[in-house]
Amino acid sequence: MDFFQIVSLLALGAGYTVLVTLACIATGLVSGIAVALLGRLQIGPLAWVLAVYTYVFRGIPVLVLLFIVFFGLPWFGLNFPPLVSMMLSLGLITGAYLAEVFRGALAAVDEYEIMAAEAMGMNRRQVLLSIEMPQMLRFAAPGMLNEFTTVLKYSPFAYTVGIPEIMKQAMALAAITLRGLEIYLAIGLLYFAIYKLMLALLRAVERRFSVPGFNLL
Amino acid sequence: MILQVRQLTKEFDGKAVLRGVDLDLAEGQVKVIMGPSGCGKSTLLRCINRLIEPTAGKVLFRGEDVLRAEADVRALRQQIGFVFQQFALYRHLSALDNVTLGLRKLRGMHAREANEKAMHELQRMNMAEHAHKYPAHLSGGQKQRVAIARALAMDPAVLFFDEPTSALDPLMSREVISVINQLYMDNITMLCVTHDMFLAKYIADQVLFLDAGVVRAEGSAEELFSGHSDPRIREFFIHEHHS
Ligand SMILES: Nc1ncnc2c1ncn2[C@@H]1O[C@H](COP(=O)(O)OP(=O)(O)OP(=O)(O)O)[C@@H](O)[C@H]1O
Ligand SMILES: [Mg+2]
Repeated sequence: MDFFQIVSLLALGAGYTVLVTLACIATGLVSGIAVALLGRLQIGPLAWVLAVYTYVFRGIPVLVLLFIVFFGLPWFGLNFPPLVSMMLSLGLITGAYLAEVFRGALAAVDEYEIMAAEAMGMNRRQVLLSIEMPQMLRFAAPGMLNEFTTVLKYSPFAYTVGIPEIMKQAMALAAITLRGLEIYLAIGLLYFAIYKLMLALLRAVERRFSVPGFNLL
Repeated sequence: MILQVRQLTKEFDGKAVLRGVDLDLAEGQVKVIMGPSGCGKSTLLRCINRLIEPTAGKVLFRGEDVLRAEADVRALRQQIGFVFQQFALYRHLSALDNVTLGLRKLRGMHAREANEKAMHELQRMNMAEHAHKYPAHLSGGQKQRVAIARALAMDPAVLFFDEPTSALDPLMSREVISVINQLYMDNITMLCVTHDMFLAKYIADQVLFLDAGVVRAEGSAEELFSGHSDPRIREFFIHEHHS
């Protein structure tokens, strides 16, 4: 096995790591935003369901939920492919944490701004989408970055359901080459590089949406 | 008559805050509401546009009962421009977008048309050159002038002010009073809660003195401010004068 082969296998692994991370972040964002906004509307029984979701999903270890989804649900005839299983476990757990971050951010929106929007004649949905959500996303920026980083760090679990991401490649390479130390040091650096890339990307998004008066990242 | 309020009552958990308030506001008229802190001034304004649900009484807007169950609350609110003591500018939007938001979301205007209309209103408030600044970069007086432009942009039938100068230092207060005075000259119908006797003297066709949820007196600024027969009112304005 030559150097080029090792690099190309790790590059492939990095591609899957990024894919898993982005898919789980997207799932977390969609579910977190939906839960936070629907929770804000305080629709009786729905609020209760959402509270149970955030409570339960923050309490389950990622690996346990992943195994329930991937190995357990097929018993009930529900077969999810590996990536979807990651989204339903790591993604939804991230959503539960993000929902809490967003709930705090919504509480930071000034009540007089909301009152001004209502006094202007906006309905609840317009106030939520035009005033509360845009401010929520900005107030929540530091907390969101935290959660995104956590997703990257949990992404190696994907190897347990057969996704050939970095960790999986590294273990195979270590077994073949018997150079575990170098390989694991190399992927440590690789994860760090992916983290820096993610940060750079988020900073670009921040520059696009930053507004004086909000401390983003 | 734009506004007729009859026997308006509001209780919070059994505690009466408004106890049968009557108020008339004619087209082009400017009324100022004054009174001690906690007497129910903000509650009165908010009951009229139903930010707060009154307990009892009648509110007629252009003759139409706005408290009946099937009344269109949001249509009513679009007719009433509201300016708050706290400015309440949307902090994630530029001054310009603060003014265009209602035009776009509620009037269905396109961005271009809304921008033109908003720039016109900002111009009127002497704020055109600051149109692209965000609230965090505006002074209190500038924020309040944007808030007034935002209210005016919707072409309301009446403007409500709830202590528009109370959060401002004297200099900034002066600049806001001067634009409100300009609105007075333009014959805009206004209902203004204030502690500022200077502002009241400038714009009030009539001053209404609210005390513990009832209208205790109504008259011109001169009548109320100096030597009123009611000792409580005399005392209030002597105190305000020195504050
Ligand atoms: N949501 C509420 N729940 C209970 N009590 C309230 C509520 N809003 C106002 N009050 C009470 O109603 C009374 C009148 O309040 P309001 O804000 O209308 O007074 P105000 O005349 O505007 O006073 P200020 O000059 O301080 O602004 C106060 O005693 C206040 O504590
Ligand atoms: Mg008040």
